[in-house]
Amino acid sequence: MHASTPPAPQPRGLPVPCSAAHRSPFPLSPAADPAVISPQDPTLLIGSSLTATCTVSADLRLRAQDLYWTLNGRRLPANSYTALGPTTLSVALGRLNGSRQQSGDNLVCHSRDGGILAGSCLYVGLPPEKPVNISCWSRNMKDLTCTWAPGTEGETFLHTNYTLKYKLRWYGRDNTCQEYHTAGPYSCHIPKDLALFTPYEIWVEASNRLGVAVSDVVMLDILDVVTTDPPSDVHVSRVGDLEDQLSVRWSSPPALKDFLFQAKYQIQYRVEDSSEWKVVDDVGNQTSCRLAGLRPGTVYFVQVRCNPFGIYGSKKAGIWSDWSNPTAASTPRSERTAGGCDPKGGEQNTTLRRELKQFFGWVKKHSYGCSNLSIKLYDQWRVWLQKSHKTRNQVGSTRR
Amino acid sequence: MAAADTPSASLRHHDLCSRGIRLARKMRSDVTDLLDIYVERQGLDASISVAAVEGVPAAAAERWAEQTGTQRLLDNLAAYRAFRVLLAQMLEEQREQLGDADSELGPALAAVLLQVSAFAYHLEELLELESRRVPAEEGSEPPAPPRLSLFEQKLRGLGVLRELAQWAVRSVRDLRQLAKHGPGSSAALGLAESQ
Repeated sequence: MHASTPPAPQPRGLPVPCSAAHRSPFPLSPAADPAVISPQDPTLLIGSSLTATCTVSADLRLRAQDLYWTLNGRRLPANSYTALGPTTLSVALGRLNGSRQQSGDNLVCHSRDGGILAGSCLYVGLPPEKPVNISCWSRNMKDLTCTWAPGTEGETFLHTNYTLKYKLRWYGRDNTCQEYHTAGPYSCHIPKDLALFTPYEIWVEASNRLGVAVSDVVMLDILDVVTTDPPSDVHVSRVGDLEDQLSVRWSSPPALKDFLFQAKYQIQYRVEDSSEWKVVDDVGNQTSCRLAGLRPGTVYFVQVRCNPFGIYGSKKAGIWSDWSNPTAASTPRSERTAGGCDPKGGEQNTTLRRELKQFFGWVKKHSYGCSNLSIKLYDQWRVWLQKSHKTRNQVGSTRR
Repeated sequence: MAAADTPSASLRHHDLCSRGIRLARKMRSDVTDLLDIYVERQGLDASISVAAVEGVPAAAAERWAEQTGTQRLLDNLAAYRAFRVLLAQMLEEQREQLGDADSELGPALAAVLLQVSAFAYHLEELLELESRRVPAEEGSEPPAPPRLSLFEQKLRGLGVLRELAQWAVRSVRDLRQLAKHGPGSSAALGLAESQ
């Protein structure tokens, strides 16, 4: 006859050491509680002291001296125990540290064989501090997201609940924000039903097992904290054959096109193999810009962001949007370095000196005084230079 | 000819078993990871011995090899329905005590709860394919759990996850047996295999 085959599987990560196997398992039914710990699940301030007692059910025939205590799995020293009766053992804990886990420290009463008789969760921590640094922004004037900091001291060691509340100034009713953690651990998002032209009062309430703390009230007008989507349609293209320049064009954020606002833009760019961005922050309100001084034959990533300000006459500085997704383009390969050989530093310097000398000679011929000296002039010279190179090359090839 | 005996039913049965096995394996792997997170967050010793949790059928079966395919499916279904209730309760307790602050434990619990629900549904489909009546949910749920202290809740959670991990392993074996023998097999699968 075939023997029965209990699966008795033992999945990975479930260690049941031999020492644990013989212990009586902890029953999960109050009727069968073999012992009782008092106090049960107390909340205490950091640095305070606690005396807890474990009283064993008479049915177990265990005596106080058969018991011992652990805190978070570590056995507490016997000199902190006192037998308060034949079946009751106390433990004294002094100068308690903050709870190791937010679910509470585990204070457990054991029988001599290691079995768990009873447990109590200790919540040791600090009352919450007043939340600070409330900062809010509205994307396209449709919603509002606020962030805050939990207080100067930081950790309370206890689960602390934060509630962001807001109301229209002068119009009473408190509202509670519902969507938390949308922009980090201390943030909340109000998706709709926001009024313009009337300031809001916004504050954050922090509460835990040890108390409640309320932040200062922040007053803000949605129009003063508007940010927008990153500029769309960012195009990066070459400027003719100019090997050190790229042209960037973009569109202003469509979500705000119906509102009276000014916009300023910033561009950042980097070469493909570097993580360092260079920022061009004097773009103003134009929707195109030329990047100069780039390396020839190199791939560049370019991003643009927008700061809408002055919406309906707001006097605030505006909030920068996120950067647009990177757009890539490459500068033309330098004809003189074509062929795959990079020039050495010394050769590059000599070339630069020769070019500068050439440039200054050309400027003398084509401009009148320093007042007209501009990057445009430099560009004109580069175009002239490249044309003359091309002509020379063509002449050279026809001669050959 | 019963619906369960047609070639298309056989194919579907095989397909459902294969998918069920994959789901149970994934569930086992996720529950094992969840156990690690759970033990760490609750500050528990992974070797703590916890009594059987009331309302959860034990994965260990004394006469496992003698069970018929339908029996196996019914046992599995009862277990996963119970786990669905217990995990939902754990998730609720977790949210009550720690809110949404724990970005790992809450979502991991919710993900396993979803897998358990999907697996229970999968078992119901298999039972229907075998032309068996799927038992109603009412009455199959465990009774309301006793009011437990916070420490007891921690231990019960550990017990639930451990048992679920065992069940995930057993379910893979059960479904493998079912896949071998096709739909509507009323013989004891383990015995049939040995003959």
